[in-house]
Amino acid sequence: MQVSANDMQICYGDYIAVDDMHITIQKSKITTIIGPNGSGKSTVLKGLTRLLKPKRGSVYLDSKEITTFSPKELAKRLGVLPQKHSAPPDFKVRELVGYGRMPHQKWFSQHSKEDEIIIDWALRVTNTWELQNKSIHECSGGEAQRVWLALVLAQQPEILFLDEPTTYLDIAHQMDTMNLIKRFNRKSGIGVVMVLHDLSHAMQVSDWVVVMKDGRKYDEGPPEDVITCKMMREVYQVDCQIIEIEGREKPLLAYREL
Amino acid sequence: MQINQQVTTKNAIKLGALWLLLLVLNAAMALVAIAVGSAGYSLGEIIRGICSPEPNPVKTIVISLRLPRVLLAMLVGAALSAAGTLLQAVMRNPLADPGTIGVSAGASTAATTIMLIFPNMLSAVPLFAFGGAALACVLIYALAWKGGVDPIRIILSGVAINSVLGAYNGLLQLLNSDRLQGVLAFMNGSLSGRSWPHVRVALIYASIGLFFAFLCIKSANILQLGDEMAQSLGMKVSLNRVLLSGVSAFLAAATVFVAGMIGFVGLVVPHISRLIVGSDHKALLPTCVLLGSFILLLADTIGRVIVPGMEIPVGIVMAVTGGPFFLYMLRKRGKAVAS
Repeated sequence: MQVSANDMQICYGDYIAVDDMHITIQKSKITTIIGPNGSGKSTVLKGLTRLLKPKRGSVYLDSKEITTFSPKELAKRLGVLPQKHSAPPDFKVRELVGYGRMPHQKWFSQHSKEDEIIIDWALRVTNTWELQNKSIHECSGGEAQRVWLALVLAQQPEILFLDEPTTYLDIAHQMDTMNLIKRFNRKSGIGVVMVLHDLSHAMQVSDWVVVMKDGRKYDEGPPEDVITCKMMREVYQVDCQIIEIEGREKPLLAYREL
Repeated sequence: MQINQQVTTKNAIKLGALWLLLLVLNAAMALVAIAVGSAGYSLGEIIRGICSPEPNPVKTIVISLRLPRVLLAMLVGAALSAAGTLLQAVMRNPLADPGTIGVSAGASTAATTIMLIFPNMLSAVPLFAFGGAALACVLIYALAWKGGVDPIRIILSGVAINSVLGAYNGLLQLLNSDRLQGVLAFMNGSLSGRSWPHVRVALIYASIGLFFAFLCIKSANILQLGDEMAQSLGMKVSLNRVLLSGVSAFLAAATVFVAGMIGFVGLVVPHISRLIVGSDHKALLPTCVLLGSFILLLADTIGRVIVPGMEIPVGIVMAVTGGPFFLYMLRKRGKAVAS
């Protein structure tokens, strides 16, 4: 399965946020979209998941246009964790994760035995099992983020779209979340597309990196080929060195000294 | 798994006990409301009067005056609370209430206008009231929409619509003071002088409205997760918004037709219910219906007896107690709502 956009243009009113966008997302790979603030990263993500309607061009899921899917059919295949999400503070973790089963249910049906098993699974793989009877309000930021991940995993999507999953988290929780994402991608083959600000994370976990600049695609490819000193200068206007360290699989980024 | 099931069962028992308690409170309050009034009868006299086969004044007063009024208060309270709960879910704002943001005023405006221009179309008034309420909803959205619904803008535009419609209603009142027998009742929510035909109308409309309200529980819950999340879970967000608003407007319009404009019930009741049972509409909506029926009956009964020899309309009792409550909520939750 793959999701692809062909010559996609997305506008907010008169403002063109994304233009000339060609992108193909492979299942079972981790694709990361990077770029400066306002470069259109989140907009691309929303366009690919039908949260925003392209003004020009089209988005395909396999060979079928995405607009031909019913919302539920689409929700069974694509899971989306928006940057902003909220729930009433007293919602219980397990209940919340249970809403991920919605696309698989009839409108009035309760959770089936199978639903409960999948909710159990989602709680376990995201390490939120112990939290299940707490309210979301009682969870820390990192815990809450894992709960939301559990919710989209309970959807059992083939591709997961995450908009800045680590923003607002401290470094320990950022690492946790990245590890988690990498683990379930490798284990269950779920494709992941995410918007990230942290380039070292992008370097370490991605199979494919797409760089956005001013609403257009600047470059794409494997992380080592794309995250270069030249790109950093041209896209971010930041000087940096990229350093190989023995014993580490991926190189490190050292930004210009402050 | 086992612990989880135990927790669920425990919660279910608690909830059941709460609903039972509210039912008992409703029944007790109904008995009190039937027993008190300007013509003071003791409980014994009332029971004897009702049971006696011959017509007698006690029986007449209780059966044709007090009983319908009690039932009406309960129906109106339940409907308004459900309307408020749904409106708050749709607008994602705990301050939304059909009375304060102009939905009831829309119903009242449409109903008053139609009664003044076409006095013979009385049977169509509930429909027009519904139309007016729905139109008010659309207006609120249209005014508050700016690339998304901002909770504070919704309240502000609702309050603005409410005062404009209020002014229009006041003008109609001034211009038509000679024909205002029935119209006046729309302005100040009141249950005085209502009888069985009103109960019948309220029963039909409130049952239909409540039935649909209960069908909306799942959508109401999912809307709490935000538009994008709801949409990516496969929900048709805009369609569900319209449906929920429609059911809410229908319930509010039904109460306006039989009891006029009563504010703050739809605000106070869901808030208290949320404090007790939380935000899950599976627990919240039934609690609101039961508590709303109790609170409006209580307010109406207080209005009947608090000033000897005079009746205070229930709309005024609710406004006097609900207004300060609204302010308290604004202070307490304004920040949470804005963020």
